[in-house]
Amino acid sequence: MLRVSAKTNSIDIDLSAINGDAGAAAMGIEFGEQLMKFAESVATRNAEDLKIARDELLEVAGELVLVDAAAVAANFQRMVRIADSVGIPVDNMDGDIGKQVREELKLSRFVTAKNSE
Amino acid sequence: MSYFQYKDSPYTIRDDLGTAYRGFWSQLARPGSWWAGEQRIAIAQETRNAVECEFCVQRKAALSPYGLQGEHDGDSKLDNIATDAVHRIITDQSRITQAYIDDLAQQGLSNEAYVELSGIVVAVFSIDEFHRALGINLETFPDAEPGEPSHYRPDKAVAGIGFVPMLPPDAATGNESDLWHNEQTANVLRALTLVPDALRDWMKIGAAQYLTMEGMASMSQQEGRALNRMQIELVAGRVSAINECFY
Repeated sequence: MLRVSAKTNSIDIDLSAINGDAGAAAMGIEFGEQLMKFAESVATRNAEDLKIARDELLEVAGELVLVDAAAVAANFQRMVRIADSVGIPVDNMDGDIGKQVREELKLSRFVTAKNSE
Repeated sequence: MSYFQYKDSPYTIRDDLGTAYRGFWSQLARPGSWWAGEQRIAIAQETRNAVECEFCVQRKAALSPYGLQGEHDGDSKLDNIATDAVHRIITDQSRITQAYIDDLAQQGLSNEAYVELSGIVVAVFSIDEFHRALGINLETFPDAEPGEPSHYRPDKAVAGIGFVPMLPPDAATGNESDLWHNEQTANVLRALTLVPDALRDWMKIGAAQYLTMEGMASMSQQEGRALNRMQIELVAGRVSAINECFY
């Protein structure tokens, strides 16, 4: 969806931000680096990292952005567990954008890729 | 008692978030389709126990998640089968298999009960994660309401994809006509449809935390949100990648 939203808005982004490249996250996305680090610290559940990332995001972007980011991160802590707990496959493995993104991010390394075979 | 008021929050919390969370807390306390209110609260409590479970840490590190024997931390009010299912969904979800779900059913945790349990676990975990992300105390659980589960199962749910039966895209009719329209759905939406209320719960929470169904189809900025769509998807994507989400 990041790729699609960037294309729709005619903005160049670097998808490797999804895999944790801070420089890539800053490309084309306002507060991208801080948002990426905040998301990362929520998902890894490291309390110390989370406090640092939260303070950094708050400082550069303000509380409205922080609260929205917390909500999105919390939502996706859930989505993966819905998908994996019932083993759903990807809806369309043949779509060009999906294929490209999976290759670019090397998603086949994930255990749950087997659910889409 | 009124939950999710955020009077002591250091940050201004959008009203729609509190409203969605209160709505779910209210549902959580009531009898569901396959679990009574007291059991649903016990599942919610077990979700919190799982986050701190030392045995789950050991199991996550084990080569096989099904060989290690041990006891989960916490004073569970659920039986061992349900307790273990809750802990796996929270701490080792990527290694859940069809064989595990089939084994649960053989041991008495039906597909229907498992789906409702999953819906509760992921909703509670998600709400808790929002609070943890902001450094806010977790909300106390509501008192359970009396009553029996309805045992409602949608007629059109069928096995075919995933580990449990689901509604096909053309089956959002009759009692399920509100779930999606014109067969426009996705596997992640269909995932919990063996218990339609579980999908209804997650759509309401998702609309506040992420986007409404209509909002997902639009790449422009949603009204009332501080993040644009690219910022939202960056956060979503990074969280999903760390969780090794292939979907």
